[in-house]
Amino acid sequence: MRMVSTAVLSLAFVIGVGAPLAVADDAARVSVTLKDHKFSPAEPTAPAGKPIIIDVSNLDSTPSEFESKTLRVEKVVPGGGKIAVQIRPLGPGRYRFFDDYHEDTTEGFLIVK
Amino acid sequence: MAQTVNSVTSGVTLPSLGQVTTPDPYHELETKYIFGFTEGADIGAEGEKSIEFETTTASGLRGGTYAALEQEVEFESVPTQNFGYELSAHGLGFSVNDVPGMPDAHGANFSGLSAEFRYLVIGRGPGSPVGVTIVAEPEWARIDDGGQPITDFNMTFRGILDTELIPNRLYAATNIFYTPDYARSPGESWEWSAEYGVSAALAYRFTPKLTMGAEIEYDTAYDGAGIQSFQGQALYLGPTLHIQFNGHVMLAAAWSTEIAGHASGENFGLDLTNFPHQQGNLKFEVEF
Repeated sequence: MRMVSTAVLSLAFVIGVGAPLAVADDAARVSVTLKDHKFSPAEPTAPAGKPIIIDVSNLDSTPSEFESKTLRVEKVVPGGGKIAVQIRPLGPGRYRFFDDYHEDTTEGFLIVK
Repeated sequence: MAQTVNSVTSGVTLPSLGQVTTPDPYHELETKYIFGFTEGADIGAEGEKSIEFETTTASGLRGGTYAALEQEVEFESVPTQNFGYELSAHGLGFSVNDVPGMPDAHGANFSGLSAEFRYLVIGRGPGSPVGVTIVAEPEWARIDDGGQPITDFNMTFRGILDTELIPNRLYAATNIFYTPDYARSPGESWEWSAEYGVSAALAYRFTPKLTMGAEIEYDTAYDGAGIQSFQGQALYLGPTLHIQFNGHVMLAAAWSTEIAGHASGENFGLDLTNFPHQQGNLKFEVEF
């Protein structure tokens, strides 16, 4: 059982930890700004089948948390700060993202096509 | 809720019409804990970290009275978009009276450590109607279900599939699992045993924060690591509850009752030798 356990855990570690490293190559870049707790553009587009980097600039003075269940990311954006979020290659569709601190009012959709 | 007719489900802006809508309050719901004992395929978002308190109860064995309460404290982390893990410490409270094969015992003790490694094979979302996750859960236990000293190593391998039958409202999931167990009581030799199971669950979101449902689970127990020596089988049915208080605090509960079963060599309608009559589970998670 020890060999099986070690193999499974090693595989999970390699696959899991290795995933974000592969995203950075030839990624498409998408820029989004947050101002007055609104995303602009609210529906940025990105190509399907390619890694994506979303640059999020927070022009508000208060922090936000860029989050998406379907993109499977969450990251705090300091007030006046900027972050880059790496996304794996996606299939076509609308992927909702939001500010976790203002989820009921602040959302956008990444349009992948 | 102010929404335009054309955007009820998406909550999008319609600039051509000059209409602005408020977002749909039924946001995407993480499915990991909405199905009770059955697990959903979601693993969380990259960057999430949380502390979870999980209580699992078991009661009712044939011939006597039996009750056990296991309390786990878990640290969860999602380091990548496809991989998450948990590290847990366990304590067990137990009360055993006149159960054949189990010494009478009452008390509570530190019972062991475990981990859980989740790999998301297929993420449910715009690109796929189903989510698929595989899980490995190694565990070390120092006392058994009756509170007796033991050295026990087991590992649950679980396959999870879930889907949204109605987007953001009605969810379904199924699990299959296999748990080989290698254990030794003091003064005795090492022994293998195993459990196999399959479960299915439905959960409906009655409000943006409240989800309730039901699940059914079929378990089998064997001596040995394979399926050579059948010991018993049990069918459980019960309700589930999930409350997402906000983006960071979650409560989930489940209760399952054995409604059918059979133990090898017995003529009863339930297997209360290998499986308890009642099982409960309560999870409280705080994300930070």
